[in-house]
Amino acid sequence: MSKQYLSRGSVDNAHIVDIFSLAITDKQILSTSGASSIKVHSTTDADFPLVQSIDGAHTIGCHHIVTNGNGSRAITAGFDGEIKAWSCQDGHWAADTKVTADLNGADAWAIALSEDGQYLAGVTQAGRINVWDLAADGTRIRDHETKGSFGTCIDLSADGRLIASGHEDGAVYIFTTETGRMPFSLSGLVNPVRAVAFSPKSKILAAAGDSKVIVLYDTSSGEQIANLAGHSAWILSLSWSDTGEYLLSSSFDGKVKVWSMETKTCVATHSETDKAVWNAKWLPKVGKTEGFATAGANRSIAFYREATG
Amino acid sequence: MAEPSTIQTLEIDDGRDPSVQEFINNMLASLIHGLSQSPTEANLSITLKRRAGPIACILNPITAALEASPRAETYRRYSWPGKTAHEAWKFTAILRILAILDQAIRTGQLISKRDIYYIDPDFFRLQSIVDRIVDDLAYTIGVNRTALNVEAAAKGLVTGDFRLIHDSHVLIDAQSVIEDSLIPRIEDGDKIDISRVRWVLVIEKEAVFHRLARISYHTRALAGEGIMVTGKGYPDFMTRTFLRAMSDSVSSQSRHPPRFYALTDGDPHGMAIMSTYKYGSAAHLHQNARLSIPRLHWLGLRVTDIIAVPDVLGDTALLSLTTRDRKKIMAMLRNSPVWAINGPEPEWRAELQRMLVLNLKAEIEILYGCQGGLEGWINRRMFRQE
Repeated sequence: MSKQYLSRGSVDNAHIVDIFSLAITDKQILSTSGASSIKVHSTTDADFPLVQSIDGAHTIGCHHIVTNGNGSRAITAGFDGEIKAWSCQDGHWAADTKVTADLNGADAWAIALSEDGQYLAGVTQAGRINVWDLAADGTRIRDHETKGSFGTCIDLSADGRLIASGHEDGAVYIFTTETGRMPFSLSGLVNPVRAVAFSPKSKILAAAGDSKVIVLYDTSSGEQIANLAGHSAWILSLSWSDTGEYLLSSSFDGKVKVWSMETKTCVATHSETDKAVWNAKWLPKVGKTEGFATAGANRSIAFYREATG
Repeated sequence: MAEPSTIQTLEIDDGRDPSVQEFINNMLASLIHGLSQSPTEANLSITLKRRAGPIACILNPITAALEASPRAETYRRYSWPGKTAHEAWKFTAILRILAILDQAIRTGQLISKRDIYYIDPDFFRLQSIVDRIVDDLAYTIGVNRTALNVEAAAKGLVTGDFRLIHDSHVLIDAQSVIEDSLIPRIEDGDKIDISRVRWVLVIEKEAVFHRLARISYHTRALAGEGIMVTGKGYPDFMTRTFLRAMSDSVSSQSRHPPRFYALTDGDPHGMAIMSTYKYGSAAHLHQNARLSIPRLHWLGLRVTDIIAVPDVLGDTALLSLTTRDRKKIMAMLRNSPVWAINGPEPEWRAELQRMLVLNLKAEIEILYGCQGGLEGWINRRMFRQE
């Protein structure tokens, strides 16, 4: 069964170069790009107005932005190698100089923030996985070594129990946060992995990349549950819907797909652009309607919602 | 002042001989120290070890080679202000050449002895004087001339239909040139006529140039007749002067001016080389205004060009960035106004950032294996840019 998602509008040329990362809070969408500012758009108004532009956040651009569950904290990773923290009060974002200073010298390429915003996980270009406790002056509480392949992506499970990382050599690792051990080794992919994402209930880990398939792992056994094939280009991002019923993926050829977890099939494909969609993310549900946002090399943020009735 | 030191570290990382930078640094440090002393105590001088003349050569019985006799080395000291005006001038000439070499080494630019002479011919007076100082410096430091980033002569190559004219005399009519020739020196008052071609392709790599020249791509391209030029990596002044003269000649032509394209590797060096052609080099800022080629278009290679067709080329076509590549990209984004966020080339900036995100680079040779080969790819790409 296929589903329909309708275009709900877009913010054209939100940035002047490629948008690399999106973060979603209950009322806002934060985006970072090859430009130096972080843009904050409202998702509660029909025309997605710009509510704030944090200029000069990262001089030579920013490749990752993550937020915690209630949208009070954001962490960004810039091309200059700097990690910065931001805090939100009444919908307005400001630099969190204390946490930024605590994270001075922290080495990470891809980052993930725990649901409560206390723990920041990062994976380095040398494949090292670190966890910092932001409630304890940014103390590094975990330091896991892998085989040294570039760490392209990382995720923390919503229950805080697991960390997963994806690497350029195709490896996917899972660590238990409590013990810092790998409960099992995953079979991994043949080509570079570019996205890993835990399902909301932390039972499934999805991984994808240049192999063009999405691999689903059972997080209790490490077994592969399914391979979702259908993309014809490299997969750049993955996002789970709130309920875990649907998985969203975006790829290098501009295609965005929605996959049903019930049937393990693709139920919708969108191709508004032929340029890389660096990031696609589900938005908070409005009533019963689900929707998502996409952004990438066409420099715009596009919004979609489920067709109802 | 953190930035220059980063650049310096990077360059030493590059496998260059650190003794050169050390020599230059020590020399400059001792001169600055001398300046801070009182004139009577100060010893502002440069001492050069001179290569032995022909008489002091011996035939080494072991190597059977003509070598310098061990005792034939002589030292010459040049002081400032010196005993004569000539000595003062010589001291200044050595210092200026040191500064030029220092910049060349730190920015990774190759420079020829002729380039150095033409920076200020009135001051240096004779090409042979520059040659001698460069050779003496290399000999004093104990390295090969190439360690100073100085190369022999003109290195650029050109093939295609152009005419070099001086005072209505045709000096060169390149129509008859079959494969390639060294780029000619452009003197004041020279005119270049390229009215018979539709395009000019600037190629980073010599091997790629030869491959295209061998099949006479400049006469067989779908876009019509053209001219191909390579500076063999970072271009020297002669190559840039020649290209600029061609570009200037186009401005005065009216209809359908030929298009200028750059074809470089999809990696930080390729991008930096394209930037050197189009905007100039950081090492010779005062020269750039008369050497830049604003009309240069980016033909390729973009990393995204390759990702679009990986099935045809195989995933081996793509290479991971090295740590040095990533540092180079970050330095380019940070330091050069060409890649700045409000700069003239947002696409170039985005391309460097995409390389970082994907951790990938691509070499032009990859295109040999694509449909229609390298020439097929260039044909398609030139039409898309028309």
